[in-house]
Amino acid sequence: MTVAIDDDLWSAVGDPTRRRMLDLLLSGGAGTATSLSEQLPVTRQAVAKHLGVLDRVGLVHATPYGREKRYEVDDEQFGRAVDQLAAVGAAWDARLNRIKRIAESIQRAQDSNTGNETDNGKR
Amino acid sequence: MEYASIEREIHVQASPEVVFEVVSQEQHLKEWWPDDATLASATPGTTGELIWGDEDDPRAHVEAMTVVESDPPRRFVFRWTHAADEQAAPGNSLLVTFELTPSAGGTLLRMTETGFREMGWEAAVLEQAYQEHVEGWDHFIPRLGAYADRLVSSR
Repeated sequence: MTVAIDDDLWSAVGDPTRRRMLDLLLSGGAGTATSLSEQLPVTRQAVAKHLGVLDRVGLVHATPYGREKRYEVDDEQFGRAVDQLAAVGAAWDARLNRIKRIAESIQRAQDSNTGNETDNGKR
Repeated sequence: MEYASIEREIHVQASPEVVFEVVSQEQHLKEWWPDDATLASATPGTTGELIWGDEDDPRAHVEAMTVVESDPPRRFVFRWTHAADEQAAPGNSLLVTFELTPSAGGTLLRMTETGFREMGWEAAVLEQAYQEHVEGWDHFIPRLGAYADRLVSSR
């Protein structure tokens, strides 16, 4: 359906610098390439490039701001990225719960088998 | 490029030997993960399949898996989501690591999945769609189990 978009969205948030930029934009409300580069150990040019990636997948919106652009996080698209990560986590939670259930029932079966016999001294 | 990862841990009231079998053997794999699975052995290099489907198409969605490391009953590591004709490697697949540690008469099972990128993402989202219809039960049955454990231990 929208898998291609999801891939791009995921690679966009997969980069640690871009995640820190999103953090800064979420806590600060909005920012420009200049204001963000002042808070990060990367150049303004690098920040502008990262902002371009985030903009292309719709994670941020730009509005003209003097000679620069002012960026804000798109709540809806950001929520989508968070939901998708949560979905993968939930899938693993379900799998691990099934592993637990299966292993515990095997263990119970083994314990009740050995419990019916006399201790053979192995343990 | 940094890959994202997911980490989970769960306590299992069973020995590491039993838990290792459940995470690494074909007949158990298909009980906790896909609809069907093939994995001839847990030996490193062995390649198998994780299969999801329905009545119309029992192989609607098939993913390859390759065992990377097997150290019973401590570690089981595999890759999945690589194309069937490709050798599993960083960059074309997700890496799943199970670590088993004896704990409180049972096992602490740690799972880490790393390597989300284009392909892995797609596989994970698709699989989620296939799994959704069973999630309800998966959610409640373990809770019942935990409840039973508490009942037993409070006596």
